[in-house]
Amino acid sequence: MGVFVYLPLILPLTALPIARLAEQHLHPRTAARLLTAVAAILATCSTVCLGLLVVVGTAQLPGNPLPDSWSDPEVRAAVPYDEIAGKASIGALALVLLTCAYTLYRHYRYRSRAHRVLAGLGTASEVAVLPDDQPYAYALPGTQGRILVSTGMLAALTDTERHALLAHERAHLAGRHHRLLLAVRLAGCANPLLRPLHRVVGYCTERWADEEAARATGDRRATARAVGKAALVSRKGRGAVFPGLAAFAEPGPVPRRVAALLGPLPPANGWPPALTSAGVAALVAAAGTAASTLSALNAAVGLYVVLEAATFG
Amino acid sequence: MTDGTEPDGTRNADRNGSPRERRRGQGELEAQVLAVLGEAPEPVTAAWVQERLGGSLAYTTVITILTRLYDKGAVTRSRVGRSFAWTPVADGAGLVALRMRKLLDREDDRDAVLSSFVSALSPDDERLLRTLLYESEAPGDGPDRGPGR
Repeated sequence: MGVFVYLPLILPLTALPIARLAEQHLHPRTAARLLTAVAAILATCSTVCLGLLVVVGTAQLPGNPLPDSWSDPEVRAAVPYDEIAGKASIGALALVLLTCAYTLYRHYRYRSRAHRVLAGLGTASEVAVLPDDQPYAYALPGTQGRILVSTGMLAALTDTERHALLAHERAHLAGRHHRLLLAVRLAGCANPLLRPLHRVVGYCTERWADEEAARATGDRRATARAVGKAALVSRKGRGAVFPGLAAFAEPGPVPRRVAALLGPLPPANGWPPALTSAGVAALVAAAGTAASTLSALNAAVGLYVVLEAATFG
Repeated sequence: MTDGTEPDGTRNADRNGSPRERRRGQGELEAQVLAVLGEAPEPVTAAWVQERLGGSLAYTTVITILTRLYDKGAVTRSRVGRSFAWTPVADGAGLVALRMRKLLDREDDRDAVLSSFVSALSPDDERLLRTLLYESEAPGDGPDRGPGR
C-alpha cells in the first residue's frame, strides 16, 4: 500500500478550487449536490485510510487484542513512517469519530427541542407563525418539517413576498437540504481540509431555494425583494457585524443572492465547459475524488494482502 | 431571580422522572398554568391557580412554575399582602414564541440545524443591498427586465 494510504488524507485539497468557482458557474442545485457528493466521498476515503493506519498503529501497542502476527516487520514495512503515523492516527481517528458523534448528537437534540417547543402551539400545520416582533424565518427539518416565521417578518413583507418566503422555506424542506448540509458538516469533521465546503454548500442551498421560490411565485424580482427586505428588517434587531473587517470582505451572501435573482435564470445543464476555469476546477475535483477512491482501495487491499500473508503465510 | 428562590418547589419538580421527561412535563405544566392564568379576570394568587388546576399539583410546584414563567417574561407579578398576584403577559402562542426565541439565541446549534431565510448583513452589504433593491424598482412597474441588468 505504501504511500497510497496517505494520499486520501490530503486529496480533499483538490475539492477547494471547484468549491470556490461552483457558485458562479453552476446551477445551485447541481453545485450543492456535486460538492456534497465530492465531500462525502473524500471524507469516507480519508477516514478509511485513517482506519488502516490505526490497524498498523494498534498492532504495535503492547497488549493489543489484534493477532500477534499483525505487528510483524513485513506489515510495518508496508507503511512508510509507521511508527509515528500509526500512533498519531489512533488519536486522529478517535477525534474524528468523537466530533462526528458529537455533531450528530447536538444536531438531533436541537432539532427535537425545537419540535417540542413548536408542539406547544397545538396545531400540526406546516407553517408555524410565532407572535414575535423580532423578524425571522426558518425551516426546521424533521419527519414533519416545519416553517417557523415570526409576525415581525410577515408584517415587513407584501403578499407576493410572503409567498416567496414560504416557497423558499418549503424548497429547503422538500429538497431535504439539511441532509446535504449535515453530510458536508460531518465531512468537515472527518477531514478539516473539507471544512470550507460547508459554507459553500450552505450558500448553494440558499440559492437553490431562491430559484425554487422564484419559480413558484413566477416573479424573480419580488423574490429578490423578499430576500432583500427580510435581510434589512432583520438587521435592525442586531448590532453591526465586524465593522473593521467588512471593508476588505467581498459582498456577503444576501447581496449576492439578490443580485443573482435580479439577473437571468441560471443555466440548468450540469457540467461547465471544459476549457473554462470552472471546467478545469471541476475536472481537478473529479480527478482528486477518483484518485482518493483508488488510493483508499489500493491501501485497503494492500493491507489485507499483507496481513493475510503475515497470518497464514 | 432564579429557580433557586424556590428551593422546595424546584426539588419537588426535579424528582419525577428522567431529565428528558421532566423537561417535557415542565413545558406542559407551564402551558397549563398559563392557560389558567389566561382565564383569570384579574391578577390572581398561586393558590387560586392551584385550585383551578384541580389541586393535582403541590403548591410549591405551582410557585416554581410561576417563577419560571416570570423568569421567561411570560408573566408579571405584583405584591399583594404577603404573597404575589400573577398576570399573564403572553398567551399560549406567545409562550411558544418566547421559548423559541430562547432556542434561537443559541446561534451555533441554530445555524447547524435551521435554514435561516437571510443571514446577517455587514454595513457594506447593506449599502449594496439598498442599491440593488433601488435599481430593481427604478425601471418602472411594467417591464420584467429593466435595462440596468
